This record gives sequence, C-alpha cells and structure tokens, in this order.
Amino acid sequence: MEKRFELSASSEVLSPFRKEFRGILGQEGWEKKTTEEILLCVDEALTNIIRHAYQGNPGKMTVLVQVNHDKVEIVMEDQGKKFDPTQVPSPELPREKPGGLGVHFIRTIMDQMIYDAHYLQGNRLRLIKHRRKI
Amino acid sequence: MNIQSKNQGDIQMLELSGELDYHSSPELREKLTELTGKQTAKILVDLSGVDYMDSSGIATFVEAFQKTKRYQGRLILAALTDTVRGVFEIAKLDSIFEIAPTVVEGVASLGSKV
Repeated sequence: MEKRFELSASSEVLSPFRKEFRGILGQEGWEKKTTEEILLCVDEALTNIIRHAYQGNPGKMTVLVQVNHDKVEIVMEDQGKKFDPTQVPSPELPREKPGGLGVHFIRTIMDQMIYDAHYLQGNRLRLIKHRRKI
Repeated sequence: MNIQSKNQGDIQMLELSGELDYHSSPELREKLTELTGKQTAKILVDLSGVDYMDSSGIATFVEAFQKTKRYQGRLILAALTDTVRGVFEIAKLDSIFEIAPTVVEGVASLGSKV
C-alpha cells in the first residue's frame, strides 16, 4: 500500500496523521508494538521539521508511506531550513536533561535513516523498517 | 490530552488521558510547572489513560523531575501503559524516574497523609 500525505507544518496535524498511518500499518498486518514504535519515529521526524526546519513558521510537509507485509518505508520532504538528523550526536543515556531523544528513538527503532544531502529544496529524509522474521 | 487534578491527602494527583506529543505536552508542562513552582512535595501522575507519548512528553517529565529533586520533592509516574513504558525504556529513563505499577502502589510509596 502506498499513500502520500500533504501536511501543514503544525503540531495539530500529528495526531490525525498518526491515526491514519496506524490504520495502514494495521491493514498490512504489522503488530501493535512495532506499529507504535514506527509511529513514534515518524512523529519525531515530523516534529523536527516543525521545530528545526520551519522553526515554528508555516510550511508544508510531504510524507510518502510505502507499506507491505515485510517492509515500511517513509519519505518525508519539506522546504524549510537544512536540518540533517543523521548528524545529531547520540546522547549519553540516561539523559537527565530535557530534549535530544527524538533522533535517538529513530536510530534505535528504524533499520535505516537516510538523509538526502542532494535534495536542494529543503530536506528529504527516508526511514526504513523491515519486519523481523520469527 | 485531558488533565484532571485532584488531591489525595497531601498528594497532588494528575490523571492524564489521550496522547502526549509535541502538540499536547505544553499543557502538561504548564500544569507541572505550576505544581513545582509551589514546591509541591508529592506529585503523582496517573498515566493509565495515555496511549501514546513521544520525546516531548519525556522532556516534560524530565524537566519536572529535575525541579522536584531541587527542592527534595517527589514525582511518581504510575500505571504506565505498555506503549508509554516502552518509550521510557528506549530512553533508558525507566531507571531514573520513580515508576509505580499502579496508582495505589504509587500512593502507598508516597505515604499519603489524609
């Protein structure tokens, strides 16, 4: 299944987006725990776009999700300021100061986080998760 | 996100329900800042109704936790759902916070004086 979301860069969109994406993952048979972890990662990436790329200013975010039984791939694009999460240093854990955990969640949960440095209009980030074989 | 405040003896309790994310966490932060600003000695947050939490939620609790530590207060997080507990575990913060399996056990740990 493939679906493209056109979202405004605002925190209000996060919950309805998660609800719809949760439904897509459920339809493709992804188990609840992994589904919630993937949602967390996409949520953190979108929050970074709102906070760092657009810095709270209006803008657009495009999310392309491609989901099948074995793999989830999410591509997020924005036209904001350059923000490369792959360059964010890993925090020392447990981190007893607020912040700095979103990228850690993505690194821990997803199999791949790829930032497209050649995307000139803004930022393009690709997240990939493979289903674990039991 | 819905926040209900109530007192049980000398414990200030917050019952949260819904999703705790970048959009909703400022409301919780405001409530916790109000309590820590008054140096509330015992705060218990009932998370049994929270089915989603991201790093913004974690950051809100970390900030409140640090403030309570400064004035020797206590903040207990109780009745975490599996999803929320998983987020604390990935952040390795489950060993830092005082986490109670149930609200009753959290209240007992704080030693309510009615």
